[in-house]
Amino acid sequence: MDGVERLFNEIVKDYSERVYWHVRRFVNNHEDADDLVQEIFLKIWTALPSFRGEAQLFTWIWRIATNETLNWIRREKVRAALRFTSIDAEMERRIDSDPFFDGDAADRALSKAVAKLPEKQRQVFILRYYDEMPYEQMSEVLGTSVGALKASYHIAQEKVRAALGKDLFIGDD
Amino acid sequence: MSKRNDITTPEGYFGDLQERLLEIPARPARVSTVRRLTPYVAIAASFLVAVMLGNFILSKTAAPSPEDDTWTYVSYLADALDPDGAAMFDETDWYEDQEESGLSEEDIINYLLADGISVEHLNYLSYEAGY
Repeated sequence: MDGVERLFNEIVKDYSERVYWHVRRFVNNHEDADDLVQEIFLKIWTALPSFRGEAQLFTWIWRIATNETLNWIRREKVRAALRFTSIDAEMERRIDSDPFFDGDAADRALSKAVAKLPEKQRQVFILRYYDEMPYEQMSEVLGTSVGALKASYHIAQEKVRAALGKDLFIGDD
Repeated sequence: MSKRNDITTPEGYFGDLQERLLEIPARPARVSTVRRLTPYVAIAASFLVAVMLGNFILSKTAAPSPEDDTWTYVSYLADALDPDGAAMFDETDWYEDQEESGLSEEDIINYLLADGISVEHLNYLSYEAGY
């Protein structure tokens, strides 16, 4: 086993579960999350020999994961259009039909509200609220200033609150 | 409200996932990125190019709507419809929402390439559609 393969194995052990939960929040379905995680790790394996260490390993992995996830969403948007439906309707259907969704009605409503956020706000909301990623780290991953990320998160929070009813607590930042 | 307990996985999933991911280095590398164009994708491509062409013609022939113009009009409308809520209306947010609302040409091309259409065929279809 060479150094690259050893590093890849470490990445799989350290990050596969975390990447899965991140992806799952976007795709709202276990089967698709499983497929997408495999695509992401295939990409990581292919790109690993060119990893030069300018960025931290975590940041590099997360950039690949977020890019692949956004590409998946964009493809899904086109697939939905070809079926004469919308990506929002498709995401709602997935949340309602996911056999591995174990939350209550409020959790379901939250997932649907997050799924309806614009792409960038959804990305920031998921990274901050579910993944609990610090803004500084998020800034390195997304290449956006901390101030802009905070603003995006605030707007996303307001939209989610409006969708859920203002009395529901979804954290402050 | 829980943050993670609302979604679960099949039992023993992460062990199984790790095993499958660790097999990636042993998989044979892809020999070629050129894939065969399936009839379904060809139909979808033609359809999408037709839609793109339709949008293009409409954008050139239809009278400009005020919504196309500027943020000023949206701001004016928001103010007129809901004077209290207008202050909460964020310009950046509005543009971001607009960006989300439709399919871009890039989305369509990304989809077609991911589904196996070759760049050459895509260029050919675009040429046929008059782009």
